[in-house]
Amino acid sequence: MEMIDKVVFGDNQFFGINHMSQEKAQQLSEKFYDIYSIIDIYQFAINSGIRAIMLNSNDRAREICTHFIENKSKFPELNWYPSIPYPHKYANLISEKGIVPTINEILLKDNSKLGVLGMVAKGGAAVLGRDAVRLLQILIDIEMKIFNGLNVKVIFLQNVITDLLLGYEVKELFYEFCKHIRKRYNAIPGFITMNMPMLKAKLYEWDIEDVVICTSFNKIGYLMSPNVETYIESALKNDSSKYQLMAMSTLASGAIPPKEAFDFINIQNIQSVVFGASSKDHIEQTISILKNSK
Amino acid sequence: MLKIGIVGFGRMGITHYSILNSHPNVKIVAVVDTSSLIMSLLNKYIGEINTYTDYNKLFGNEKLDAVIICTPPTLHYSIAIKAAKNNLHVFLEKPCTTRTDLSNDLARIFQQKGLINQVGYVNRFNDIFIKVKEYLNENLIGKVIRFKSEMYSRTITKSESNNDWRDSRESGGGATFDMAAHAIDLVNYLIGKPDKITGSSLTQIFSKNVEDAVNATFLYENGITGTLNVNWSDESYRKPTNKIEILGLDGKILADQHGIKLFRKTASARNNLIAGWNTIYITDVFKSVPFYVRGNEFTSELYHFIDCILDREKTNICSFKESSDTLEVIESIFKDFELNGRMK
Repeated sequence: MEMIDKVVFGDNQFFGINHMSQEKAQQLSEKFYDIYSIIDIYQFAINSGIRAIMLNSNDRAREICTHFIENKSKFPELNWYPSIPYPHKYANLISEKGIVPTINEILLKDNSKLGVLGMVAKGGAAVLGRDAVRLLQILIDIEMKIFNGLNVKVIFLQNVITDLLLGYEVKELFYEFCKHIRKRYNAIPGFITMNMPMLKAKLYEWDIEDVVICTSFNKIGYLMSPNVETYIESALKNDSSKYQLMAMSTLASGAIPPKEAFDFINIQNIQSVVFGASSKDHIEQTISILKNSK
Repeated sequence: MLKIGIVGFGRMGITHYSILNSHPNVKIVAVVDTSSLIMSLLNKYIGEINTYTDYNKLFGNEKLDAVIICTPPTLHYSIAIKAAKNNLHVFLEKPCTTRTDLSNDLARIFQQKGLINQVGYVNRFNDIFIKVKEYLNENLIGKVIRFKSEMYSRTITKSESNNDWRDSRESGGGATFDMAAHAIDLVNYLIGKPDKITGSSLTQIFSKNVEDAVNATFLYENGITGTLNVNWSDESYRKPTNKIEILGLDGKILADQHGIKLFRKTASARNNLIAGWNTIYITDVFKSVPFYVRGNEFTSELYHFIDCILDREKTNICSFKESSDTLEVIESIFKDFELNGRMK
């Protein structure tokens, strides 16, 4: 399995996401109101040596992707790690309309190139619904449109969806996701999860290998089910030639000081770290700690 | 192994399935939904499950221990009554029903039969609000004087004609039943049920037949007063957010699902609190759950339901009886609005 980047720059800070505090989240949302302030931060990260970027396919990701595609020559070669989909978009639509009309609306919206229209004309979700695999493939392609033109290395299924599906224990959907990502995008399939030990055990049981698992990993066990001890043990026993582990939420949204957080992370059997930072100083500080701890 | 059926497979039913399926003592044996499409998907991808489009068949055909009911609220009562007749424990999504008398009826029947009953007021299982409750019990802000309970989301952001149950009060739709119920339950949980409702306003923003925002003032015989402010059409919120502010004689609490700001006039060494502002984040107080989907509280509430079935010594902290109080407040808001809330 091809090795992934050891350090990946994340995106939560740009989209008003902070799991610890809604006030902080709101401040971030104000700070990154326009695309240029976001691009400035990416530029700092790239200047500090970052070559890998994780980006969720939310409403604002489109303008970020467009900027990097249109200005490709101004940047060094970058590896992109998209995560799909943005689940709140679907959640709000489902609350408002119900599941079947939501799928229909998403399929109908500006997707003529994907050959969706013909299918929708035949009955939309009702037809596709009998074939969840085809529906899954189409939804992936819809979410991936904005990344077309970027060098995509790993494609992650976002954690709300991964963990929801994990609870159903349906092998086919995990298997087909991986197959489609490899075949259509020539990328490594990945899963983001808050239940890493259980997900890894299931993937192993289902013979699904060569995937990246991105998961919360911090010393206080925040967003780590069932608990931090099981995580450490599961990582320790992991065969990284089959499953590469990428740690996120290493600072537990700011609850753990960076030095302490990375001292803990660096003694775990983890192949990669994704971190977010909202200022030049934070980026430089984090990268310097990451380098020095290794 | 507890055998469980799920009735209603919308957004909450789908989540509850995923969480309950992770419980080592639970087997989900059947699902009911009117959407034949979703039922056919379940049949195709999950081998050992029976699906029905009519809940009567569920009770006729399956030997169950409990049911999870996540249909539109107006159907809750008749399904729960059937479940009680079959001696099944019941977890109902909120609001319990759309009428206090029906909810009281359910509370009485389930208590008489000794059946576990719970309503999905998930904030009672949020680690931050549990901490707020502890602080109030320990009297850390002194006698409560005033409070503000708020909830905001971007659930309904367009004017579209649809016949969904959310656009009908009779079916349990509208911002009051669907969202304010959470903010009211939080008040009942933390402060207690108000004695009088006044100053209610219901505002339509996008919906055709129901309110999208609701305000009300809560009065208590002991002198406490509070306000409710709820809006499900507020696009400035990325996710549904509950906020509570409680002013006491000795301090103040500001809390949302992610953190607490606590102001105290004096320090409390025992609780590790300084005089002035203290910040407590979710990362300081969370308790890990065995399996995580969408938030610790969703797992905690369902595991609590199962725990109560398995261990009858346990007291359910969100029973039908408690949720009747929320419905009583909702009915008072509707009545107050009809009497006093409209411009003549």
